Parts: sequence; structure tokens; C-alpha cells
Amino acid sequence: MEVSNGAEETCQKKFALPVDSEHKSTEFRLISVAAPHMRAFHLSWISFFACFVSSFAAPPLLPVIRDNLGLTATDIGNAGIAAVSGAVFARIAMGTACDLFGPRLASAALTLLTAPAVYCTAIANSPTSFLLVRFFTGFSLATFVSTQFWMSSLFSSKVVGTANGVAGGWGNLGGGATQLIMPLVFNLIEHIGATQFTAWRIAFFVPGLFQTLSAYGIFFLGQDLPDGNYSQLHKSGDKHKDSFKQVLYHAVTNYRGWILALTYGYCFGVELTIDNIIAQYFYDRFNVSLHTAGIIAASFGLANIFSRPGGGVLSDIMATRYGMRGRLWTLWIVQTLGGVFCILLGKVGSLGVSIAVMLIFSLFVQAACGLTFGVAPFVSRRSLGFISGMTGGGGNLGAVLTQVIFFRGSHYSTETGITLMGVMIVCCTLVIMLIHFPQWGGMFCGPSSKGTTEEDYYLSEWTAAEQDQGFHTASLKFSDNSRNERGKRVQQAPTPTLANPNAYV
Amino acid sequence: MATNACLVVSLWISCLLATTHAATFSSLQRTLVLTASPQAGQVLKAGEDNITLAWSLNTTFASGIDSTYKTITVELCYAPISQKDRGWRKTVDELAKDKTCQHNIVKKPYTSSNTTFTWTVRKDVPGATYFVRAYALDSAGKEVAFGQTTDAHKTTNLFEVEAITGRHVSLDIASACFSAFSIVSLLGFFFMDKRKAKSSK
Repeated sequence: MEVSNGAEETCQKKFALPVDSEHKSTEFRLISVAAPHMRAFHLSWISFFACFVSSFAAPPLLPVIRDNLGLTATDIGNAGIAAVSGAVFARIAMGTACDLFGPRLASAALTLLTAPAVYCTAIANSPTSFLLVRFFTGFSLATFVSTQFWMSSLFSSKVVGTANGVAGGWGNLGGGATQLIMPLVFNLIEHIGATQFTAWRIAFFVPGLFQTLSAYGIFFLGQDLPDGNYSQLHKSGDKHKDSFKQVLYHAVTNYRGWILALTYGYCFGVELTIDNIIAQYFYDRFNVSLHTAGIIAASFGLANIFSRPGGGVLSDIMATRYGMRGRLWTLWIVQTLGGVFCILLGKVGSLGVSIAVMLIFSLFVQAACGLTFGVAPFVSRRSLGFISGMTGGGGNLGAVLTQVIFFRGSHYSTETGITLMGVMIVCCTLVIMLIHFPQWGGMFCGPSSKGTTEEDYYLSEWTAAEQDQGFHTASLKFSDNSRNERGKRVQQAPTPTLANPNAYV
Repeated sequence: MATNACLVVSLWISCLLATTHAATFSSLQRTLVLTASPQAGQVLKAGEDNITLAWSLNTTFASGIDSTYKTITVELCYAPISQKDRGWRKTVDELAKDKTCQHNIVKKPYTSSNTTFTWTVRKDVPGATYFVRAYALDSAGKEVAFGQTTDAHKTTNLFEVEAITGRHVSLDIASACFSAFSIVSLLGFFFMDKRKAKSSK
């Protein structure tokens, strides 16, 4: 790092955690709430958790809601698909918003804009209105992108996988926690004296309020970047306000973003699908009570507390030894194993073994999610938000596709659907083999023989004119800080030159 | 070794026998006569309207057929139209797994003479099309006979229940207020952020 000792000491004095030249934290201290790094971490995972609780608040209460609104199985299936489909485009839009306005405003805005949908669930009165509230509430799942973007902005490459994995995993926890929280709240309200058909409606104010409060927390306590918020930095000239067209162009033309979008659909998308169907699966196939089925369903989501963070940590560990190539290999292996256990889950016929297989399956599929976001922050620096959004959107698209193909109507039995979904996971994960970074290599090929450096790759996103104006300084610092993605075993690549870099696809 | 095998086999056979002895609907005789006050196609309001039921033993059957009857349980049951595309209300022959009748009206000790009961439709009864069925239970609580207000195909003499919505004006107002509060907060945030940026210059 080309920072003089004196300047480095000043940096250390300003921040509670050790930082690099971009002032990103090089350590991830879970129990700290020090501003801005760890505080942002806690704010972002809590608000993402709240959005997950809201989006999946309906499934555990469906036995009551379906009777109140006269829903059929088709209505319920459609609402489940609607709940995850809204976020497909919302996540991409969120990525752009983060690039342009910063994660703090973007996530607070989305959380507050979707809170009305949660409050209005309390006044739904037909299958159509139920579908609409689930659709609009589902948009809030786009806060995932702001979470990952924020972590990638505040934590250096050594710990970014861990930070992304824990924030994403603990947020996803909401999908499991809600299966326990909502029935509890419902029972409490019913106990106080409300009738069944009123109690579930009142219960929805809990996730709604949680969401609103978390938005307040983010706005007042959070900070976009270590040095300040986007609006301040734009005004002071420290941060260049980027052009939407350029951000879009560099995201869409980077094939690695598309590959990650596809593969994320077969780890996270599969996780969302399972969140929607697993309780019914255990209820119907093994004749357990709805209460027991709910607990089993919750345990799938609750595994996120350590499985997704585990994936992120594993990504970072593999990177210290093997660099980016290690991250890619681990992602492929873990996600493929997830597919194998999914195939098994559909085939197993006894309750105990089925639960065990489901838990192992959850570990692998959620770890794969964490591993994906160990790779995503490196795909692009300029369009980090858009790439995160595309990948996240691809996840939701995978959920929509798998539910439509395998879990709608009675074409396949649920167990056959689960097995076929596993086969699809294994097949679609193969494309990870196509990812190649010229400066670091891919699964089967080493770095490009032309001697491409990190600077060459990241600065190719900026034109000469933009570089003359100094807009690329953040990318320059990032290139320097990402050099440990070469791994320990690779010999030093040629020193970077500041002459016009070659453009790389 | 041989005794172990015998034990396992006999246990297995007895389990099998136990399951084959599970009560099925098709094995029950329709020995009870059940009438309900709602006319065919009538709409009852949950929480307000009443159903008056009357049941007795069908005297055309041989006397003594009711020797095992100890209790009568009367249930509100879903008509086929309300079961369509709703697997959680499915009719299955094995009574332990049957989901046709999910709302218990009353449980009374059995008497062979005519019995009546008036029931106010509960507030948690969903809006659907229904008929009424009565099961005669033996001393072990197992179904041994039945009677119902509709025919064998469950097509005649069905009535509807109009459920409560569960909505209240206070809930509507609360939803609107909290939603408006969220949007106004957001506008406040944008305004504050812009002002802070201007003042920091």
C-alpha cells in the first residue's frame, strides 16, 4: 500500500477498526457497533431481516387467511410466485439506485415504500387483493442488494465475503423466523380477545412497524461510505456522481454478471422456493401437524444463521491461499453438492431421514449463496451496485422459474418436483466454469498470458477522458486492495502501468 | 433367534390389522335421520343466524342396531363445490384423514328419541357451501353410523354461510395512517438529506 506511515496513522485514529487505503475495514468484528463499518453492518442485516419477515409473514398464517379470503390452492400458489417475482426487477433497480444515490437512502426509501403494502395486508378482502399485497411486499426483498453493496463499500476484499455472507445470511434468517414469530403474535392477539379473522390482520402490523423502524435506524444512524454520505461527498466533490448510462453499459456488457445471475437463481432462488413449499410438503407427504410442518419449515430458514455466513467465510479463507480461483472452485463444488442433496430429498421416503437430508441440503445451498457474494464484488467496481442487483434479481427469477415449472398445478408431485429441481441445480451450476478473470484466472485456466493487472481490468471501465478528470480514483484504490485475489501460490504479476489500459471483456 | 423373528412378525401383523381396522366412511351405515332448518340455497350470516337441528334413529332399520351408539357428534361439512382446488378440505374414505367436516356443532349423549339443538353459526366459520352430518360414536369414540342433511352425492339441500370479513373501520384507518406516515417519513428523509448536503458545502 502506497500510504506513508504518518497518513496511515491518521487513518487509524479516525476509525475504530483497522482500514485500508479506501478506508474500508480490514477486520470484521461481529460484537462491535462502531461507526461507520460495524454499525452499518448491524443496521443493514436487521432491516433486511425485517423485509424477509414481512415478505414471508403470510405462509405460516395461510390456514386462517385462506378461509377468511376464500382462497383456492391456485390462488395461494400464484400469490407465492407474486411474492418473489416483484423483486426480480426491484433488485436491478436497487443496484442502480445504490450506484447513484448510495445504499443508505436507497434501502431506507425502499423499506418505507413497501411498508404500506404490509399495513394494507390487514385490509385485504379477496384473492386478488391478497396477491397484490404479497406482490408489492415482495419488492422489499431488494434490500438484499443494498445490504451487499453497503458491505462491499465498507469492508475490504479480505473480509468482504464474510461481511456479505453474515449480512445476507442473518437477513435471510427472517424467512425462517417469521414462521415462528407470526403464529406466536397471532395466538397472542387471539388470546387477548380478537376473533381469528381479525387477529391475523392485526398481526401484520408487527412486521410493518418493524420495517418502518428499521428504515429510521438506517437513515439516522447509517453512513454510505467510511468518509461520509453520497450526497455530502457529491457536493464536496470527493465523490463523482456517476452517469447511469455508463454504469448500465459496463454492468450489462460484463458476461460474468450474467453467469452469476443464473447460478444465484439456483442457490438463492431454490432457497426461496423451498421457503414457500416445504411446510406443505412435510404436511402432505408425512402427515405431520401444521404446527410441526411449520417448525420444520422454520429450521430450513434458520440454518442461515451460520450456513450463509459460513459460505462467505469459506470464500475468504480459500482466497487467502488460492485467490479468486479458489473462490470459484469452492462455489462450484458447494452448489453442485447442494443440487445432489436436493435430488436426494425428493427421493427419501421416511420423515427422520428426510429432515436430516433437508438440513444438509440447506447448509450447502445457503453456503453457495454466501460464496456467490464472495465473487460478485470483484466483477465490476464501477457498476458494483448494478452487478449485485443483477445477481440478486437472477436469484428471484430462479425462484419464479422453479415454482412455475415444478410446483404449480398437479403436473409433478412435490417430491418429483424437488428431485427435478436438484437436477436443474447441478446442470445450471456448470456455467461457473466459464468465468475467467484475466488478472486472476478461472476454474481451469490461469491468469491471461498478456500479464493483465488488476488496474487494467478495473480501469478499463473508465474512458481516458473520465480518467483525466480523476473519476476513477476509487477503482484505482480498489485494484490495489484486491491484489490478494492472486492467492499465495501465484507468482507476482507485472507491476501496473498508468498508461492507457487495454479494454477487457 | 426364532422367537425373536416370531415376535417381530406377530407385532407387524397386529399393526397391519390395526390399520386395516381404521374406520372408513364407506363402512358406515346411514341409520340416523338428520334435518336442519336452512332451506336449500339459503345464506346464513356467521355470528348472527341460527341453525336448528333435529336427529333421531331411522326406525326402518332392525331394532338393536343402535346398541353400540353412545354419543352423537354433529358437524358442519363442506360441500364438493367448496372443496374444489382446496386440498385441505379433501374427502378421504379413511375417517382419521378425512377433512370434509372441520367444524363441530355439538356433541351429545345418544338417545333413540328425537333430539333437537339450535346453534348460532360461529364467527370463525369461513364463507362456503355446507351440509350437516351427524356421526354416532361408540364407547371408544369410533364412528359407527352417520346421518346427513344431503344425499349420497352431496348435491341436494346445500346452504351457504356468509362469513365475517374480520375487517373493522379502526383497522382500515390504522392501515391508512401508518402507510401515510411511512411515505411522509420518506419525503422528510429526502428533504433532510438535501439540506444537510447543502449546508456541508
